[in-house]
Amino acid sequence: MITKGDKILFFCIILLSLIIFAAFQVYGFADGKTYVLIEVNGKLYQKVSLGSDGPNLKIHIPAATGENVVEIDRDSVRMLYAQCPDQDCIRQGWISRPGQIIVCLPNKIVIKVQSDNNSADEVDEVTF
Amino acid sequence: MHEHRKTIFLSLLVSFGIVLHIIENMIPVPFPVPGAKLGLANIISLIAISFYGLKEGLIVSILRCIIGALLAGSLTSLIYSLSGAIMSTIVMAFAYKHFSKVFSLVGISFLGGVTHNFTQVTVASLVLSTFGLYIYLPFLMIVGLFTGLFTGLTAYFVKQNLGTTLIKLGVLREEKIQ
Repeated sequence: MITKGDKILFFCIILLSLIIFAAFQVYGFADGKTYVLIEVNGKLYQKVSLGSDGPNLKIHIPAATGENVVEIDRDSVRMLYAQCPDQDCIRQGWISRPGQIIVCLPNKIVIKVQSDNNSADEVDEVTF
Repeated sequence: MHEHRKTIFLSLLVSFGIVLHIIENMIPVPFPVPGAKLGLANIISLIAISFYGLKEGLIVSILRCIIGALLAGSLTSLIYSLSGAIMSTIVMAFAYKHFSKVFSLVGISFLGGVTHNFTQVTVASLVLSTFGLYIYLPFLMIVGLFTGLFTGLTAYFVKQNLGTTLIKLGVLREEKIQ
């Protein structure tokens, strides 16, 4: 009752969805410039632009329980060193896409990646 | 075939569709695409198409969407479900009319599901002015495949088991059952 045509269609659709998925991976999510915003205590501390031609630097931030070091490597950013007790921020690893954030709660430091077209003030969720 | 019995049967289909629509609305889909649903109510559209044709399929689908949206309390998702349902009904009716040798009801249901998802994501992207929603299309398509399998099989069994009874009841014409 399930014909051969059905099975071919099934695999074609799976193939098509994989192609679309792959296309998104290659093409990328951000269609603008991306920036790193480092906020300490809720206030903007530093803003650095990312990109494949971006900077390669380390930023030292004096904080409540010691010092945090943020490392930027061209188009990704991570918390390299922190003296907070949990070390959650370090375990986050690298982030590079707009919307991703790393938080060091004890030291009140937030690293976020933002892109040109959608600022952080935009709507996060829409319900119906 | 008696016309008023056909009308009664179509109304029954619409009410089944409404129930499916309401239940569907309660099942959360893990994608933030507005109006993304499992696609269970397509069973009704498929039954209407396979028993009658495009016109009846459209009538049933549109009524199901409108009344279902009113009853489920979610009128804002009407535009997504209506556009998806209309497009998928048209595609399914076309496939049923011309390709019923190539695809069984399961294959036609696959086509309907994929069309529905694609239309939904497109309409949602236009309304929300963002094309990032298309990233969810692959996942929606895969989910649509599996519910399409279920939907198609259900419609097939309905046809197998109810077909002769409906002809005897005067709801269906003789030659509709292959």
